[in-house]
Amino acid sequence: MDTETPVTPLTTPVTRLTARGRLIRLLVTVLAGGLLLAGTFWGEDDHFPFGPFKMYASAVDPDAPTVDTRLEATDATGATVLLTERNTGIRRAEIEGQIDRFRTEPELLRVAADAYARRNPDAPPLTEIRIIIRWHEVRDFTPTGDWEEEVVATWQP
Amino acid sequence: MAAVTGRLRRLGGAVTRWLTEPVPLGRLAAFRTLVYLFVIADAVVFTPWARAHADVPGELYRPLLIGRLLPLPTPTPAVVWGVFAALVASAAVAATGRLPRLAGTAVALLYLEWMIIAFSYGKVDHDRFGLLVALAVLATVGRARHGDTARSEAAGWALRATQLAVVATYFLAAFAKLRWGGLDWLTGATLTWAIVRRGTVLAEPLLEAPWLLIAAQIGIVAFELLSPLVFVLRQRWRYAAVGFFYSFHLVSFATITISFLPHLVAMASFLPLERVRPVVWARRLAARGRESAGGGAAGHPVPVAGDPTVGGPREGPDRPPPQ
Repeated sequence: MDTETPVTPLTTPVTRLTARGRLIRLLVTVLAGGLLLAGTFWGEDDHFPFGPFKMYASAVDPDAPTVDTRLEATDATGATVLLTERNTGIRRAEIEGQIDRFRTEPELLRVAADAYARRNPDAPPLTEIRIIIRWHEVRDFTPTGDWEEEVVATWQP
Repeated sequence: MAAVTGRLRRLGGAVTRWLTEPVPLGRLAAFRTLVYLFVIADAVVFTPWARAHADVPGELYRPLLIGRLLPLPTPTPAVVWGVFAALVASAAVAATGRLPRLAGTAVALLYLEWMIIAFSYGKVDHDRFGLLVALAVLATVGRARHGDTARSEAAGWALRATQLAVVATYFLAAFAKLRWGGLDWLTGATLTWAIVRRGTVLAEPLLEAPWLLIAAQIGIVAFELLSPLVFVLRQRWRYAAVGFFYSFHLVSFATITISFLPHLVAMASFLPLERVRPVVWARRLAARGRESAGGGAAGHPVPVAGDPTVGGPREGPDRPPPQ
């Protein structure tokens, strides 16, 4: 059986690197490692790809409300439309990442209307866009089921 | 003094030997095909929102430092679709193993730009440092044929560098938690928050048991800090550790829908991928089918896409020259 499987010889030939090739690889490894260490301790996301691996790195207070952000719109028919990555190309985390910009310049929400129109050319136009944060109340690690909503920014054409 | 320099030199030699420990070229070839096929799948299927930035007006583009330094153009539909097409085309060539340096360099640069387009709108993901390193180092290895048992130090460094990047993602994530969350992270409500935001039905019952989530947080930091031990384990335990890493991500995906897929692909650099020969298996099966139907091709060497002409059990002299 399996006669076509290559037989692994006990000693397979090895292609070696030149001394120069080995030194360059050592230096590149050390340099990249140094940049990554620096990014971890002093860097920010801006230093991609050497920024810190800070996914879910903040401590969350077990008694503080949990933030849940959404981008919501009203269209010309009066219907409420949830704006998502799918229908605008803008991710929820991107709204959150630039939320201070939207807070101070709510007219920037116009870009979400433009993006929505580009991706949904046949849909009724949007007449209002809102960024809403729903604060879920949490007590001792457990969501109580109560929430409050905060409208962070509103835009109308 | 001379003794100290001698010792340092020996240490440096040992580190370099470990960094460039030779691996079979067949393993590199298999990893290469996996990585480049994943790049195509990622661009087309898994990261659709990067392409969606074509429709987002440039005012929301806040280029990352690297995008400001280079400087890269503000994405327009033409830029985004152009990078997308070039990325998919070059990854398709690279996945076959042809033009490994040229196509590999093109994919590495285009994927980096693709990620800058993805991450310059207010959110940077942390799931693909290993993949970016894999793309950068794969381009430094010349031709590698599927099934080749000859070993290469250049291939060894490429896989080692990728493994280091994968483990650094875990190990340094623990320090990021200390930096942002401090020790409170261990006993905080981060997992509760993650479940409220994006938990699945599997995760919801966990909200009733905060002590379990705290135990999980302590377990996560412990595993991140211990992850470098994977390099000192013996082979069997090393595979077990890598299996544990994979299962950690399976559980994260099942509970809080975080997949870390690019990282998982890079982590395959730990596995003896040369044993996975889907094309060989498929042809063998087909040959067996023909044999039982009266054809009779079994027992003959089988040509495999990406391989040169089959020459028998021991590959011939047309191996790439030493580099």
